[in-house]
Amino acid sequence: MNTYPALLIVAPLLAALFTGIFVWIEERLCYPIAVLGMLISSFSAYKILMAVLSAGVIHYRHAGWAPPMGIEYRIDTLNAMVLLLITLIALINLVASYKTILVETPDRSGSFITIYLLFVVGLLGVTATGDLFNLYVLLEITSLTSYAQIGLGDKDRGPLASLNYVFIGVIGASFYLLGVGYLYIKTGSLNMMDVATIISTMHDSNTVLVAFILCMIGVWIKMALFPLHVWLPNAYSYAPTAVARVVAPLMTKVMVYVMVRLMITVFGFDYIFSTLDLSAAVVWLATIAILAGGLMALAQKDLKKMLAYIIVSEIGYMVGGAWLGNTTGMTGTILHILNDAVMTFALFLAVGNMIYVCGHVGFDNLKGLFGRMPWTMGGFVLAAFSIIGVPPTCGFFSKWYLVLGAFEAGAYHFAAALIISSLICAILFFRIFEIGFFPEPSDGDDHAHAHHEPAVMVEAPVSMLVPLGLVSLSLIIVGLYSGTIVNTIILPMLQ
Amino acid sequence: MRLIGFIIVCICGGLLLYGTSEFPDWGDPASPASTHLSNDYIEKAFDQTQVPNLVTAVLADYRGFDTMFETAVVFCAGLACLLLLRDYSRKKERFYRHVPTGVILQVKHPEKKLPVGTEFEYMDKDWVPSDLIIKNVCRILIPFIQIYALYVVAHGDFSPGGGFQGGVIFGSSLILLAISYNLRTLVQRVKEKALGILCALGVLVYVGIGALCMPLGGNFLDYSALTRIIPWDPHHIRAYGMLGVEIGVGIAVMAVMVVIYINIASEGRHDEGL
Repeated sequence: MNTYPALLIVAPLLAALFTGIFVWIEERLCYPIAVLGMLISSFSAYKILMAVLSAGVIHYRHAGWAPPMGIEYRIDTLNAMVLLLITLIALINLVASYKTILVETPDRSGSFITIYLLFVVGLLGVTATGDLFNLYVLLEITSLTSYAQIGLGDKDRGPLASLNYVFIGVIGASFYLLGVGYLYIKTGSLNMMDVATIISTMHDSNTVLVAFILCMIGVWIKMALFPLHVWLPNAYSYAPTAVARVVAPLMTKVMVYVMVRLMITVFGFDYIFSTLDLSAAVVWLATIAILAGGLMALAQKDLKKMLAYIIVSEIGYMVGGAWLGNTTGMTGTILHILNDAVMTFALFLAVGNMIYVCGHVGFDNLKGLFGRMPWTMGGFVLAAFSIIGVPPTCGFFSKWYLVLGAFEAGAYHFAAALIISSLICAILFFRIFEIGFFPEPSDGDDHAHAHHEPAVMVEAPVSMLVPLGLVSLSLIIVGLYSGTIVNTIILPMLQ
Repeated sequence: MRLIGFIIVCICGGLLLYGTSEFPDWGDPASPASTHLSNDYIEKAFDQTQVPNLVTAVLADYRGFDTMFETAVVFCAGLACLLLLRDYSRKKERFYRHVPTGVILQVKHPEKKLPVGTEFEYMDKDWVPSDLIIKNVCRILIPFIQIYALYVVAHGDFSPGGGFQGGVIFGSSLILLAISYNLRTLVQRVKEKALGILCALGVLVYVGIGALCMPLGGNFLDYSALTRIIPWDPHHIRAYGMLGVEIGVGIAVMAVMVVIYINIASEGRHDEGL
């Protein structure tokens, strides 16, 4: 059992380095090595989750040194869940995106797989670690690799979108690092648990307050909370398909996890909600984020851009839920990390299939898509229902907890924003369905027989459809097991 | 827009200053940073690791896991440069200079190449006449720079230095070759394939040493587990483990420096350049 927390991250890292070498020797070996690395990693994540559920928190000492001296992995049910989510999404995407990688980056697919694996390593490290500075180092890897991957996208606009992301991302990371620096000056420690113990006695310190604000702003920039979101839509919509599919569901969600981790483990609810009492302001901010994200999504003419703005809106859900200051809201946020990752992944898998077949996903290019790609659109519809929040898909349940939490806290504006956002999402997706169902007659088309021609099916390859099918079905399965997830994973950790 | 920027900068600066109001005094020996963990490091590090340089002990052993990922960051930077800048398209035309006469020839057929030697030399937009003094001075200097780089890597346990610094010095010696001669000379001597493999291999040395400790019964990067295969004092073996990972860091940093330089200087084309 002991080696799984290390294996979880070392397996993809070694796979990345071996692919980095085999790129130059025998490029065909890169892909199998990557899949093998991700399989080992997913298996480890599964084993870790099982172990945490049966035996409680796992501690793993890197280099064998005890925590405040060395670096420790501290895995409780929350990170175990997020770790399994990351490894599975990364693995499924690697399988589903094999063909798009070959099409979109034909002459550098080996190096692309290397950097993809390093990105996953970064996400896993950020999630598993119990050390504030180690978190920053892994965040740096995650960011650097995502800049590079996004820059490989759209020939004209990809590099520019990536450059904007670099500027804003670096500022975000610097804020976080400054916050950690302030904490270190005040506590002399970098281990999360150790820092938490020390600052529990200095709740009235200015330095801790500034450290808290800096860390939160840094994390908000990285997760694209509303006024700080400007890098996200372009970065996600001009990225290569294989990248958008993994960055969109995971990057922002892992940053929400970091925020939740800082709030629960490092600073503590007492400090945030009793001593500081910033809750009301942040919930208002989240409310604005939800509505602004939804309104900007309404103005889009491209499916990828629209989804990117929906992500901005979803970030508002999670930040607001976490800052409501009660267990129900926090439960909703943590459940939504899981659900939103799966929903967004399903949506982007479907969009990736459309791009593979149709070239681009401007609304004008989606006409009659139900006839041409029925399976892909089937998955898309399920994911869309989940985003809107139709039971029994999983999106409904986390939204339910969020709304309950909002009522419990008396934040009726937040509850209203959640419901309005559902309506906006319904409008957004039904507009897409309408375009997809009814092929508009083109100008001057008076040939009656044109409407009787059966649509020709041009579906995506099976290797792309099966992952989409699996993920869309899991939307319902996760939804049906929401109660179990809340009772065994989330609630024990919050108490 | 400028005004908003100015206001935000002022608020951030004010926030940072506000936070410093409770800082311990400058150099205060009783500050948390110098009491909480530092004492333990200072008192125990030499006994536990047999490395006289405490910085190296903290960097490569106590927090070796961080340093491993810092090396991976360097690798990412090199890889990102390669991915984004490398241009695999064939050059359409080439220029040559006939050395004795100074006549410049243009060859339009992509497959046809002139023999480059004493008679012809490559010619591109950044061509400069070769300078005898610069070339010879650098030729003498480069081997010494490289030996010094190896010394810095190997001596990191005992004095300031280590893999990052040594790697940078070694890499800069190769870049000096490219500056004093031309990029083509460097690319011919150090093949792109070799550099690409070295980038990953350097990090692999680090991760490999760490991973080797796991089947031997230790935690990841716990060098003392290596005593199972090298019968040595478990404290002393840590010093050698650190030397091993420092060498890995040195290789990776050296290769990445050169990869980044070549790709940026030649706009990813590798055959053109300074």
